[in-house]
Amino acid sequence: MTLRYLLLHRSDAFWTLLLVAAVLLGALVPSNDYYLNLMVLTLLYAGLASAWNIVGGMAGQFSLGHTAFVGIGAYTSTVLLNYAGISPWLGMLVGAAFSMLLAVVIAFPTFRMRGVFFAMATLAFSETVRILLIYSRKFVDLPYGLSIDFQPGLARMVFEDRASYVWLAGGYLALVLAAAFVLSRSFMGFYLRAIRDNEDAAEATGVPVRRYKLLALLLSAAFSSIGGTLMAQYVMYIEPGTVFTVALSVDLALMSILGGVGTLAGPVLGAAIALPFREFLVEAFGDAASGTHLVVYGLLLIVIVVLLPQGLLGGARSLRERIAARGRRSAGAQPKTGEQ
Amino acid sequence: MNDFIQLLVSGILLGGVYALCALGLNLIFGVAKVVNFAHGEFLMLGMYAGYWLMRGTGINPYYGAPLVGAAFFVLGLLFYWCLMRFTIYKPEMTQVFATLGLGIALQNLALLLWGGDYRTVQVMPAGAESVEFLGITVSANRLVAFCFAMSILAAVVLFLRLTFLGRAIEAISQDISAARLMGIDPGRIFLLTFGLGIGLTGIAGAVLVPSFYAFPSVGTFFVLVAFVVVVLGGLASVPGTVIGGLVLGVMESFTGFFSPDLKEATHFVLLILLLALRPHGLFGVKGAEKEALK
Repeated sequence: MTLRYLLLHRSDAFWTLLLVAAVLLGALVPSNDYYLNLMVLTLLYAGLASAWNIVGGMAGQFSLGHTAFVGIGAYTSTVLLNYAGISPWLGMLVGAAFSMLLAVVIAFPTFRMRGVFFAMATLAFSETVRILLIYSRKFVDLPYGLSIDFQPGLARMVFEDRASYVWLAGGYLALVLAAAFVLSRSFMGFYLRAIRDNEDAAEATGVPVRRYKLLALLLSAAFSSIGGTLMAQYVMYIEPGTVFTVALSVDLALMSILGGVGTLAGPVLGAAIALPFREFLVEAFGDAASGTHLVVYGLLLIVIVVLLPQGLLGGARSLRERIAARGRRSAGAQPKTGEQ
Repeated sequence: MNDFIQLLVSGILLGGVYALCALGLNLIFGVAKVVNFAHGEFLMLGMYAGYWLMRGTGINPYYGAPLVGAAFFVLGLLFYWCLMRFTIYKPEMTQVFATLGLGIALQNLALLLWGGDYRTVQVMPAGAESVEFLGITVSANRLVAFCFAMSILAAVVLFLRLTFLGRAIEAISQDISAARLMGIDPGRIFLLTFGLGIGLTGIAGAVLVPSFYAFPSVGTFFVLVAFVVVVLGGLASVPGTVIGGLVLGVMESFTGFFSPDLKEATHFVLLILLLALRPHGLFGVKGAEKEALK
């Protein structure tokens, strides 16, 4: 029943499930550390990009400040683990709560803005959080970077084998996607789409625009924060320079754009392409000189947004439509031309 | 009291430089409604241009500024011709990510070519680095940069007000369809504006290099400063840019005096507050921020 519902209602959900299943099945096959590492990162970023997509894609609010939520998640759980011995399973919820608190603070001034201005303001917000965090080291005895001791254990969310991390990140992605799926099918999803397409019209129709934007941001913040905790647990070393960078925010948005903004499968597809591709670039150009792979990455970013502003899924759809239109035209044209 | 005046003066000098940094951004934004996220990287390239000009030929960046400006004018034309013209009528996020991508590429290109070292040039003769006047000490480099900034800003205002081309630019920035009906080709004006904007940014960078260090990621600092100045002073308003720069410079000088670590945070908080409360800025045209959303 459920499966039929998924298959019938939109191919989007189908492709998402297929993609996730393919990735997770892949986890069973190789025991190669390199592939497993890539897989964990891909799943993690797919989850983070999907979380970004809730507010960035579905509601059309292009945030460039999600690194703040990721960073808060990473820092909260790690500080709690290192200094109070609290399990990251609990810590990630505390981090999510903090992120949602920040989301409320962010929502007030930024929700009046649109487009580029919203992007600029969220970027400024995340930078403010970063600076305040670095500044707070004056008052509390916090080192610049935090590392997690390697003591495997389920309660500490530290595992000996990478395959466990694949399941952890896969479970996270599944959770975010499930939430996004339910959301997109609920009335709230329709509200968000209405806001994205025309905020004034939505407001005039009686959609409580601010409330639903806030709800979307809260959800997105909470999931991003949980992803941040998982990232800290996997990388085992965090510092403001890695979890609080604008580059991370850009990455998340980019992956969604690459796949197709606002769709369920888009961010997953985007992450599944962008991340391995970047790893490939690092490997191909990493020895040449520092920065080469990022030059290529930046140029590709330009090419992608200029040529495929709707992402791969959007591009595929318009191609399909064009082919269908051509088919219709030639089907309609043949009887008229008569013999050939 | 003396401290106060000292802070005020150094803030004003810094503010003039900030205004110059933001001018190119505001010009392009005002006319083509493009928020150039690669602006900081063009400024960074300008700083390197000034640096290498001095190292290569011995020409002082202050004298070489017109040269850098001319080169960057061409760079701006290329920037529009090769990239931005494909994004101009697209959704605004295309522009954001295209310019962000260019910024990433340029920043890492600089890292690739010149490494991560902090570079600066010594232009003032030893002993003349600072000027004292009525008990107030100011850095000579800042003073020169400030004079540069003010004369260039004045020149731009005159250009926009007095020449036919300048008026065409203003017309396009005010109402593109009406301007088109008057026989102005928007594509050409956009091209010219990008050339001018990037050219001015190059000059700003070259003038900065004796008083600020040049390094590949210096642009990320300046781009946010430039955003604050533009939003503070008003979108699409050159005089507003001057005021915005001065206000920000003075503010930074004072917060820097009381708590240096929070200097940058005040920029961001100011930016957020401004965007929320007065998005068209102190002197900007009301509704200019909505104009960018089409």
